[in-house]
Amino acid sequence: MNKLKLDRITHTYSGKKILDNLSLEILEGEIVCLIGESGTGKTTLLRIIAGLERQEGGSVLLDNEIISNQSSHLETHKRNIGLVLQERALFPHLNVLENIIFGMDGTKEEKINRCDELLSLFKILKYKNSFPHSLSGGEQQRVALARALAPNPKIILMDEPFNGLDRALKFSLRIDTKKILKQNNTTALIVSHDFNDGLTCADKLAIVSEGRITQIGKPKDVVLNPLNKDIKKQFICETGDMLYWKSVIESETT
Amino acid sequence: MKSIIEKTLEKLPILFFTFISLIFLTPIILILTSLFQGYSDSWQHLFQTVLAEYLTNTTILVAGVSIGVFVLGVSSAWIVTTCDFKGKKIFKWALILPLAIPPYIMAYAFTGLFDSGGTMNNVVNSIFNIDENYNFFPSVRNLGGAITIFSFTLYPYVYLIAQTAFTNQSRDVFDIARTLGLSKKSTFYKLALPLARPSIIAGLMIVAMETISDFGAVEHFAIPTFTSGIFRTWFGMNDIVTAKQLAAVLFIFFLSFLLIEKYSRKKIQFNLSLTTNRELVPIKLYGLKSLLATIFCSIPILIGFLIPITQLLYWTISFNLEYFDLNFVYSAINTISLALISGIFCVSVSIIVNYLLRMKENRPLSLINKAISSGYGIPGVVLALGVLDLFSLINIFTDTMLIGSVFGLILIYSIKFYALPNSSIESGFRKINKSVDDAALSLGSTKLNLLKRIHLPMLKNSSLIALLLISIEVIKELPATLILRPFNFDTLSVSAYMFASDERMVEAAAPSIAIVIVSLIPILLLIKILDRNKNE
Repeated sequence: MNKLKLDRITHTYSGKKILDNLSLEILEGEIVCLIGESGTGKTTLLRIIAGLERQEGGSVLLDNEIISNQSSHLETHKRNIGLVLQERALFPHLNVLENIIFGMDGTKEEKINRCDELLSLFKILKYKNSFPHSLSGGEQQRVALARALAPNPKIILMDEPFNGLDRALKFSLRIDTKKILKQNNTTALIVSHDFNDGLTCADKLAIVSEGRITQIGKPKDVVLNPLNKDIKKQFICETGDMLYWKSVIESETT
Repeated sequence: MKSIIEKTLEKLPILFFTFISLIFLTPIILILTSLFQGYSDSWQHLFQTVLAEYLTNTTILVAGVSIGVFVLGVSSAWIVTTCDFKGKKIFKWALILPLAIPPYIMAYAFTGLFDSGGTMNNVVNSIFNIDENYNFFPSVRNLGGAITIFSFTLYPYVYLIAQTAFTNQSRDVFDIARTLGLSKKSTFYKLALPLARPSIIAGLMIVAMETISDFGAVEHFAIPTFTSGIFRTWFGMNDIVTAKQLAAVLFIFFLSFLLIEKYSRKKIQFNLSLTTNRELVPIKLYGLKSLLATIFCSIPILIGFLIPITQLLYWTISFNLEYFDLNFVYSAINTISLALISGIFCVSVSIIVNYLLRMKENRPLSLINKAISSGYGIPGVVLALGVLDLFSLINIFTDTMLIGSVFGLILIYSIKFYALPNSSIESGFRKINKSVDDAALSLGSTKLNLLKRIHLPMLKNSSLIALLLISIEVIKELPATLILRPFNFDTLSVSAYMFASDERMVEAAAPSIAIVIVSLIPILLLIKILDRNKNE
């Protein structure tokens, strides 16, 4: 069943068409990674799905219901969509517990239990009463992920979630994120310029270029059969070694 | 081996700090020592009669004004920062204009407007053909009136601070909050306000201090407060020791207030650098919403600036043009000279102090700098009593008569307003990367050359802002000037007070309007510089 459907989304920014009839479907529990260079409208697309911006054309459907088109627009706070940003955007005046229960409903006990559960999953339970500024970048990103997951969103959107972290931390956080998303059967759309994010986390890779999706498929299919030279070039630039990835994927397949 | 000159030069910073702290802190210490002198019968009289009233009135006044400035300052700052509506660009700076009108001048204008036979009552009576003795508007010479005039003259302190706080808040944080279920309206109460809380509290503290320190407005409305009580005890009961003891109590109260505020801010301190600098995108308002925003932002400017200015101008032009004679010119020159001299002195001291602290971090010296910056919270009348004591001591030991000299005024302005240039210079120095110093020193520059050729040119803007900030305050200052001015030495504020205390409101209008105009010059310059800095 489709969880999210984007139907011919069009949008211009400062006179430039950044989304041009972009369509995408994401199934329930699926993790899709949207890969594209800077300025290709990836972040704008996330903002449109979250309802923070309104597209000029096309429709956004969540659970097969239109949440935004030319005639109707469901406000952000009514959509139950989780959002994680590269900047983390933790509320600096609230501690970790307060940050995580910010968007949750239920009794205080239920909220605290859910918070403990998520913090344990992300291995940061000991920071429950700490304030964001005392945490490292990786810990802050784990809190941001936990906060977005806490209200059990219909879908979670992540904008360059692993950017700004060192290599080792990126690797472990990618693995943990995928594990937790799968455990919770959470549908996710990750936006990144880094192929590695998609290769490690996603069920599907979608390549976006000039405002539309140029190729979509399982990571191994995209890597083994890049549709054009640009994708191949971008892949080599990001991962450094195409042959290595090819061998990893091939060995996995066999 | 180091030569004697080198050794002396090394000790220069300590000597400088000692000298500055001596002249800045001795008046305060002398006031505090009055608590150990004998207590006269006046205390019993005060306890039995007016002390409770002083405390009650002061508390009600501070509470009322805090609510008033909070509503006016925070809401206008929020609207101007987050909404796009007709006239927004003008409102952004026009909302600061009431800062040019000191509360006592607003009080003079308000009595002229709303007293029996005042302009507003006359207008209503003539429109509705009512008996000319009928008072449509209630009297303003009461606590409610005082709360109103303080709120409308002091809200810009909260407005400025809140506006900066809201502008620095990140769009990302609000976006995330929206996805977590917060509606646009509730982001203000649940996120923007708590995030800006430390800044808003700091603004409210400044307003509370200004309110408690005020003498001119409460005296004009005949409201007995703690500060006016010190004057009455001194001049009415002729008991300077009890007046000093009252001042010492007020100072201790202030100090505890400051420490509690500092402690509470420390507890809720959070690092805003966590949030990114992606500014909030203002929401475009149309139709009725845009009109309501325009009306809401017009009210503080109308009541806090335009109406009182119109009243003062009407009095001045209709009855009082002859006031602009040679005496007026002298008063204006005195006022501007005092503002400039005190300003230049304070800016120079703060540059030297902050430069020395930058060159060699030293905790005791840094604490001294904080201590000499604490004068802002002390009422002018308290400091004036301390300065008089200091001058008496100097007179005893050196036979130099400083009482009744301009030095007293410059010293008191410096003690009271040093915090303003210091904070501006401090942040100016912070903006200069320390690697710049290292680069200059490695290129063979001496430390003095570093200050002259690198720091001073880079501090030009901060110094100018510091000078303007202190000038605005000196021009408006009244109680300390009243006590310490030399014989026959009038400033604009003293002239206005003299006329107003004799209920010669029409005559008081001319110096009052002059104060507003003279204050407006640095305010407008300040707005321009701050705007330019922001755009850069």
